[in-house]
Amino acid sequence: MNQKNIDYIIELSNELRWQIGDDFHDNLTESIYADAANIVKDTVQVDNSKKRFRLDSKIDKIVTSKTFGFPIMFLILGLVLWLTIVGANYPSSLLASLLLDNMHPILKSGAASIGTPWWLDGFLIDGVYLAVAWVIAVMLPPMAIFFPMFTLLEDFGYLPRVAFNLDSLFKKSGAHGKQALTMSMGFGCNAAGVVATRIIDSPRERLIAIITNNFSLCNGRWPTQILIATIFIGAVVPGSYSSIVSLLAVIGVAVLGMGFMFGVSWALSKTLLKGEVSTFNLELPPYRPPRFWKTIYTSLIDRTAIVLWRAIVFAAPAGAVIWLISNIYVGNESIAEWTINSLDSFGFLLGLNGVILLAYIVAIPANEIVIPTILMLTVLVTGIDSGAGAGVMFELDSMNATGDILRAGGWTLLTAINLMLFSLLHNPCSTTIYTIYKETKSTKWTVFASIMPVILGFIVTFLVAQVWRIIF
Amino acid sequence: MNTKVKSACEMCAHFNADGLKKLGIHTDNFDFVVALAGNPNTGKSTVFNALTGLRQHTGNWPGKTVTRAEGGFEYNTQKFKLVDLPGTYSLLSTSEDEEAARDFILFGKPNVTVIVVDANRLERNLNLVLQILEITDRVVLCLNLMDEAKRNHISIDVRTLSRDLGIPVVPTSARFSEGIPELIQTISEIANGNIVCKPHKIKSVPNNIEKAVKTLANEIEKEFPNIPNSRWIAFRLLEGDTQIINALKAGQLV
Amino acid sequence: MNNYNPISALLIFFVFVVLLFIFFRPVKGWFWILRKHFKNNEKTIIEDVLKQLYHFEYSSNKVDMKTLVQVLDYKNASIVEAINKMTINNLIYFESDILKLSEAGRDYALRIVRVHRLWERYLAEKTGFSKTEWHDRAEMMEHKLSHDETNTLAARLGNPKFDPHGDPIPTKTGKMADVIGVELPLLPINTIGRITHIEDEPEIIYKQILAENIHIGSLLRVVENNSTRIVFQSEGEEFKLAPIVAANLTVAAIEKEVVIEDNIARLSSLNENEMARIIGISKESRGESRRRLLDLGFVKGAKISIDMMNPLGEPHAYLIKGTSIALRKDQAAKILIKKSYEYKS
Repeated sequence: MNQKNIDYIIELSNELRWQIGDDFHDNLTESIYADAANIVKDTVQVDNSKKRFRLDSKIDKIVTSKTFGFPIMFLILGLVLWLTIVGANYPSSLLASLLLDNMHPILKSGAASIGTPWWLDGFLIDGVYLAVAWVIAVMLPPMAIFFPMFTLLEDFGYLPRVAFNLDSLFKKSGAHGKQALTMSMGFGCNAAGVVATRIIDSPRERLIAIITNNFSLCNGRWPTQILIATIFIGAVVPGSYSSIVSLLAVIGVAVLGMGFMFGVSWALSKTLLKGEVSTFNLELPPYRPPRFWKTIYTSLIDRTAIVLWRAIVFAAPAGAVIWLISNIYVGNESIAEWTINSLDSFGFLLGLNGVILLAYIVAIPANEIVIPTILMLTVLVTGIDSGAGAGVMFELDSMNATGDILRAGGWTLLTAINLMLFSLLHNPCSTTIYTIYKETKSTKWTVFASIMPVILGFIVTFLVAQVWRIIF
Repeated sequence: MNTKVKSACEMCAHFNADGLKKLGIHTDNFDFVVALAGNPNTGKSTVFNALTGLRQHTGNWPGKTVTRAEGGFEYNTQKFKLVDLPGTYSLLSTSEDEEAARDFILFGKPNVTVIVVDANRLERNLNLVLQILEITDRVVLCLNLMDEAKRNHISIDVRTLSRDLGIPVVPTSARFSEGIPELIQTISEIANGNIVCKPHKIKSVPNNIEKAVKTLANEIEKEFPNIPNSRWIAFRLLEGDTQIINALKAGQLV
Repeated sequence: MNNYNPISALLIFFVFVVLLFIFFRPVKGWFWILRKHFKNNEKTIIEDVLKQLYHFEYSSNKVDMKTLVQVLDYKNASIVEAINKMTINNLIYFESDILKLSEAGRDYALRIVRVHRLWERYLAEKTGFSKTEWHDRAEMMEHKLSHDETNTLAARLGNPKFDPHGDPIPTKTGKMADVIGVELPLLPINTIGRITHIEDEPEIIYKQILAENIHIGSLLRVVENNSTRIVFQSEGEEFKLAPIVAANLTVAAIEKEVVIEDNIARLSSLNENEMARIIGISKESRGESRRRLLDLGFVKGAKISIDMMNPLGEPHAYLIKGTSIALRKDQAAKILIKKSYEYKS
């Protein structure tokens, strides 16, 4: 190979390109399609006389119609979410009683019988094991229900129609219609939602979808919302209305999240991301009957197992940290107490408290352990006689008892509302952060996607707290 | 050239069912590399799964497989490593998927490239096929979703198609594993050099461009005799593709 | 800690937000103004003077100090200082009170113009910035890129001949393609022509042209031309412009016999039961978007019809080469079709 000849070839290509002008790409594509058309003319025969009744276009007429399109969509999404939340309750409590109520004492007594030192047994069993068990119990059942249902809809071909119907709403905020799907996927798990943004092939819209996915309330946060709404918001109104009001409060938070998603998408597309390339195309594939068992198998393996595995990997060290900060003493305060005291005034300014802020710091790996951590820390700080000991997360079966502990920790209705808001608006869990990094391959966007929601959360809770205190 | 695909039955006689072993993800010490390309939503992943015995997720949704999946099978004691490329409509643009797919076919130098097409949308799919035929000449066309085509009363003259494209064409319905043995047999024959393809080259290029392409391709062939895709490199140079220019400078194209 | 005043907390917060806004709001924020001020060094002023002189020369206008000071947004003293320096360095000279470019000055000016237009082309092809931002961004960039960087950029873009507005891009050696055509108001009624250039300055007029959805490369036929307005038909739609706006469009007249395609319409005007054939994609669709459309089969001669109407009005799904593909309205407006008389069965 001769470098001079190569340079000559490149120089020649520049010269020739200048001669043939700017239309080269168009011309080439047109010639390829012209060849394709010629080949097809020779080889393909379509028997139009037997044109079958087109089931596809019949279905499309209905699911994209003005009258039925949207009701069908909301019905399906509502049904999927309802089945997930309600359906997951039973296996979740089964797993909880197995892993937390039964396994945990057995492990503890087993460790005691072989004479494990208290710190090792606390670190491993109360810290690491408990955090992992908690994540599995809360996370596995909803994901194992949500993802297969979602995948079935996907394989059938319905989801592209949803993107088609909703695109103009998303276009207004500078996003892609397919973001409707990654957002819905985020209701199951933000990490899975971020992976799902691969279907968006326009760089700007994909980044928007990745960064705003965290505004979808995920499986790890639904239980927190429901619990706090039931204890505090349901209690404000007469008993007969309490369940409907707390339900509305939770839905309200989820809808607020969608509002933030649209708003932040719009702001991003107009500012930081306006220079990214933006294209739009949406292919509407033919409907294909999904193969039920195969789909369920692959979605369990592909989505549920992978996400769960990542969550466990991140939750284990979190459990260790939680146990350590409550059991390592500096002077006569544990690290946890010391941190809580120093965070308290900032927490108060936001209508929260130091316990909640610390819980959100140590629970970055998994939103599932926020409530158990808050309960444990509240007991630790207030010194009331409940719980399972320093660094041992717990939850109570009785909502009243949970409420009592929280009230003893100084919780008011404002704390509850702001906790619900902060649970919506805070950094993504570490699994999601890691996934964002893997998908964007950019430290800049990962940091931005992690910090931006917390700042929003601070601002929103701060404003709510001040207004609340002025009014009441 | 040797059009192996006359009828399914004839193929069966050639096919050595005992010689087939699906290797899943175990792809050590392979003898041949097979690339799997195709448009999105043509059942490419289903073909991949049928060949390897793996169960990669196959969504009814364009652009599902973004990461590159690998698997393998063994046929007649030869091991084949199968690489599932991202589904793309073309190789001419600059999106991440298209670059990944193109780079693998160009620099990965697979022994065989299987292009999976949707028999219902042949014309649209041929866009990608004709582009790949400019890059490599060891190609088999997997005419997938034949079951759907039959339901839509579309009939395809496989022999003429094979003659026009200059490569073997295997009709399949991967969902029902129909045609997969024939596909494996054909892959093996191309890999072993029993079938030699004479791939179609893009014809309907306007005169002024064709002249520029010829001039450039001649220069490239002078520098690299025996290069199979001088025309395609000429196309890319005229397009001003910096990656190809750099590869040319670094001598990676031979 | 519980007895602070929430009202003052709120006040502090709002003062903070207002300050942030004053400093960092786009374009007019103090931060940006200060930054711009510090960057207006001598080099920038010299290059801007050269560029202005070149534009005056290109449009065969003469320019004296007074006009120059008016068109440039710098302090008079700095301009005078720059002019002095340029005269000493033989970039410009005076013929009585008219400023002229020397050979070296013209070369320099062409280099600046080359960077500006290349950068606009780059923004159009490879980024997602909106058209209204191209000019200002190129104005900044033209002072930044070195000679080698410019050539690398040109090579990456495939050494294009024209910028996205239709202005010719000078080559390394200063060669430039010609823009054919005259200002639209100079064309008599019934002339058929093609838009070859859309001027992007002043910004107010350019924004009006953009708002009308006028596309570069479109064929048009002048219907009415008088001192109050100019009306023309293009791609199945009628456009009415004030003469001052129309003057920013350059149109190359085409002999009627040469016109092959008539009745061209935009895909966005296709109705549910109509069939059409694609004539081509407008030059207004660029970069990645254009390539995607071509890859998806939106090529000359392809048959197209509407497959699904959207309940919210956009995007519609179009049936092309056996597949249903949804396009937004602004994309469909850039695909040119000829409706056929057969109807969808």
